[in-house]
Amino acid sequence: MIAAGRGAVVVAIGAGTYRPLFPPSPNEAQIAVAAFSMDKTPATNAELLAFVKAHPEWRRDRIARIFAEPTYLTHWASADALGDAKPDQPALNVSWFAARAYCSSRGMRLPTEAEWEHAAAASNTSADGANDGAWRAEILSVYSRPSPQVLPSVGGKTNFWGVSDLHGLVWEWVVDFGNATSAFASGADRMRFCGATAAGASDATDFAAFERVAFRTSLHASYAMKNLGFRCAR
Amino acid sequence: MMRAVLFSMLMLVVGCADRAQKSVEPLGPSIYPINASLVDQRGARVGLDVDRGHPVIIAMFYGSCPSVCPLILSDVKRIDAMLPAKVRDDARVLLVSFDGEHDTPAELARIARERGIDGNRFTLASGSDDDVRTIAAALGVTYRALPEGGFSHDYLVTTLDREGRPTARIDHAGADVTPLVSALSRSQP
Repeated sequence: MIAAGRGAVVVAIGAGTYRPLFPPSPNEAQIAVAAFSMDKTPATNAELLAFVKAHPEWRRDRIARIFAEPTYLTHWASADALGDAKPDQPALNVSWFAARAYCSSRGMRLPTEAEWEHAAAASNTSADGANDGAWRAEILSVYSRPSPQVLPSVGGKTNFWGVSDLHGLVWEWVVDFGNATSAFASGADRMRFCGATAAGASDATDFAAFERVAFRTSLHASYAMKNLGFRCAR
Repeated sequence: MMRAVLFSMLMLVVGCADRAQKSVEPLGPSIYPINASLVDQRGARVGLDVDRGHPVIIAMFYGSCPSVCPLILSDVKRIDAMLPAKVRDDARVLLVSFDGEHDTPAELARIARERGIDGNRFTLASGSDDDVRTIAAALGVTYRALPEGGFSHDYLVTTLDREGRPTARIDHAGADVTPLVSALSRSQP
């Protein structure tokens, strides 16, 4: 583990292969993921607050409207004070533009969908939890649980790579969230987008992955949603 | 009675004409706060707001694209050609490439020549992956690099008003382009 600025811990993730649930083309059924690093936890309110203080153009009262819808950081008491929002809760109501700017300020970037999914495919004991029935059942139960009344702090159980909170705390931005909807016209992509049932999925039992694909395809880069956070990679 | 009908018809006509001349209502916020550093077909550094002050047609493409991009380029030229002369002189076109690696200024200049593009009013530009991703996200264009080379991407042609606010869009080849022509024509100084 490597300590980064503002106390964030960055964890090394080994190389691997990402198998998209709905491969957009036959050549993309398996996507090689090079070794990379990612934050152990999602970015927190405290980290975002430090960021907007250092970069006031990203304050909620100064941000250009193209970069975030009006819900941006509205869970804070004011543009530069958290109020009831806890410093170690994940930062929510953050647009893709703001998340990228925050990561860039740390010399980092948002993870790709392939990187995020590769990191999230690890169980507690293995880099690939696909064949671990107990782990998969646990993930599924996490995804079907209603959101807690009070959002927990970051830093839950770690997985094989030492990463926390990939499942069950908040949804997370990836840099290429819109991938799934590209080239709508092609049959493969329509399958990926319109798979209201998981028909055509490479693994029809992976409902959690299906939920993530469905969620990502619904996003626009300016969205600032109360259940959507992010973490940085490099 | 007849007079009342005639009068209301007259009002209707006047009302329509009045509406037609009103400046166009933007569909969303300006994209010009994006701080991108692009290079155009002349090798000049330009920002995304290179055509600030003019009504703009903006679209994304890449040079080696076999299918959708030629359609986008010819549709953009067709829309431009449909503009009344006065509007056309004032309008500008910005074509941003997905492919910063291959679409160098020389390549962009070659594409412009080959397609008979008016270099005075058309800017073909490319930039870093980061900048291209930001611009695509702001316009609502989704794309991805393909493992075999090239890109998979949406068809999207957008008009901007003088301050960079989107005023009309078409999202498929063969779409009715009159909303774009109308939006450009109604972009008041």
